[in-house]
Amino acid sequence: MSVILKTIAAAGVLAIGIAGAAQTADADELANVKSAGEMSIALTGAYPPFSLINEQNQVVGFDVEVGSEIAKRMGVKAKIVTTAWDGILAGLLAGKYDTIVGSMTATAERKKVVDFVGPYYRDGRAIFVSSSSSLTKLNDLKGKKVAVTLGETHEKWANAQKDMGWDVRTYKGLPELILELKNGRVDAFIIDSIPGRVAATKGTPIKMMNLPDLEGGNLPIGIAIRKGNPKLAAAMQAALESMQADGTYEKISLKWVGADIR
Amino acid sequence: MGLDFSIVPDYIDILIAGTLWTIALTILSIIFSVAGGVLFAILQLNRHAAVRRPVSFIAWLFMGTPLLLQLFLIYFGLVQIGLDLNAFVAGVIALSLHFAVYNSDIIKSAIVAVDKGQYEAARSLGLSQLQAMRKAIVPQAIANVTPALGNMMIALLKESSLVSVIGVMELTLSAQRAISDSFRPFEFYITAAAIYYVLNLGLEHGVRIAERRSARYR
Amino acid sequence: MDFALMGRVWVYFADAALVTVQISALAILLGLILGAVAALGSLSVKAYLRWPSRAYVSVFRGTPALIQLFLLYFGGPQVGIHLDPFEAGVIGLGVNIGAYMCESIRGAIISVDKGQVEAGRCLGMGHVQVMRKVILPQAARMMVRPLGVNSIALIKGSAIVSTISVLELSYTAHRYISSTYKPFEMFILASIFYLIIVSIFSYGVGKIDKRVSLEN
Repeated sequence: MSVILKTIAAAGVLAIGIAGAAQTADADELANVKSAGEMSIALTGAYPPFSLINEQNQVVGFDVEVGSEIAKRMGVKAKIVTTAWDGILAGLLAGKYDTIVGSMTATAERKKVVDFVGPYYRDGRAIFVSSSSSLTKLNDLKGKKVAVTLGETHEKWANAQKDMGWDVRTYKGLPELILELKNGRVDAFIIDSIPGRVAATKGTPIKMMNLPDLEGGNLPIGIAIRKGNPKLAAAMQAALESMQADGTYEKISLKWVGADIR
Repeated sequence: MGLDFSIVPDYIDILIAGTLWTIALTILSIIFSVAGGVLFAILQLNRHAAVRRPVSFIAWLFMGTPLLLQLFLIYFGLVQIGLDLNAFVAGVIALSLHFAVYNSDIIKSAIVAVDKGQYEAARSLGLSQLQAMRKAIVPQAIANVTPALGNMMIALLKESSLVSVIGVMELTLSAQRAISDSFRPFEFYITAAAIYYVLNLGLEHGVRIAERRSARYR
Repeated sequence: MDFALMGRVWVYFADAALVTVQISALAILLGLILGAVAALGSLSVKAYLRWPSRAYVSVFRGTPALIQLFLLYFGGPQVGIHLDPFEAGVIGLGVNIGAYMCESIRGAIISVDKGQVEAGRCLGMGHVQVMRKVILPQAARMMVRPLGVNSIALIKGSAIVSTISVLELSYTAHRYISSTYKPFEMFILASIFYLIIVSIFSYGVGKIDKRVSLEN
């Protein structure tokens, strides 16, 4: 009995050790990606028009196509992985995938833990209210209930606006933000302007507040990779720039957003 | 990357808030799931099939499908029929409903099991139906169900972690919030596990006390 | 009720159902092995076998399965464990249900009539022989139902692996709900498959139970 148990325990430890060793990144990860023949790309799949699930259960969207095109130009296949936003950066750091092409704003704080390729588009903060709402100015929102997504830059920003007296509610993602606004549980939600504007054109009963002086109105959106991989960064940057130069980027942008959002 | 538990104390206020919400969620759901269980049990013992069958169907449906699915249905679905619920309320409803159907099974068996003879003996001693129920049947039924219901409550505490997926800021989601800021999943999930373990021990202790007290009526 | 939509997407739920079955089957297998080992360990006279077994059962039954899964999948890399979602799902679910299965197996072994054990001893059987020829055959009969209950709990519990993005039934349902805003339809589709899987499995367990009882 004791011999059997010891053997099982030893085998287990050995197996875990081997698995761990096999995954240790060796030198620049570009070599790993090339030898694997594929690059795994993480996004949420719940952020139209950048990533969404179509009826055929496929992940599609602007981010998906940009990411896939970059992989293609690097000579590898793209493997799209969906994951919740609040764990997406931790997942990259833990080596669960090679990169995040998930509309992540390249903030100074994030640059401390990851490197950014790009930027591949620019967008800015916006506040959305229900179509029937009478709130138009930022001050109208004083003391109101405001929804944000856990882990987004808007969450930090909203919590920092003490003088607005907001009741900040955090949710898992955009679908929940829209749901809560629709059923009146919150008065407004804060996200990047493009997803909200696209949803509004598709019939979602929301409208963007016209706030030209809103802080964080125009920011670079980047592609995140782990630090210490200059060759991978260079390869991805080159691929991105080539697709921006030959019109492929513009086509993707017009298809999903209706404008060139570079 | 290694382990560094020294950052855990920096987020202690988030974790404590989450723990309190978990406790609130659990207590409310336990209360409603027991009440619901009694209700469903009585309905399932009703004379009329028209009352029994729909209730049995719902019970079968809720026992055969995952709690997580039921959670999505209640949170996203009830809004569409006009009931707007915040995530916490949806979580309590889902947990209560899910465990109510399991509890109803337990309670049903216990009611039926209390010896018929006891009921007749109580009546022959001159007790009215209500008194017979109150003084003979119900206490014994309670003694019968307490261990099994206690196990359900213990399970409920752990299942409460699932409501994190609809955004309720209980212990699990609070740990995730700390993680999205610090990038240290191992440290925070171990801490959360330890807190749940302690809560679990507390609940188990409470259940054992309840078992001993109710056993007096056997 | 958007039946047309359901008609268009049910095939994807069927694909996802297959994944649910795969993960559940592998996790149940792992759970049975771990449960058996832990049960025997917990009944051992040697304290160094008993304590780890009791600790395993206490910790894994005393904490949420979701936390165990997250710890393994997200926390694993920090201690050198790199698993993809499917692997983490199988191991996470399996290790969790193993603790419950240990109790089912242990309970069955303990409930074998002591008289039988003594009779075996009188006939000159050693400890291992008593186990093999007297206890285990009878315990095996009694553990089928509780292990069946554990396994069905696991099939439904497998829904939690949707949180680490395994493309099984619950994840598929959630994805479609997020993009179509039709929760009732998606709940119905996913439920149908869960109910089918659980029903087939229950039927199988019932059959096994009958056979093992008859053999006595």
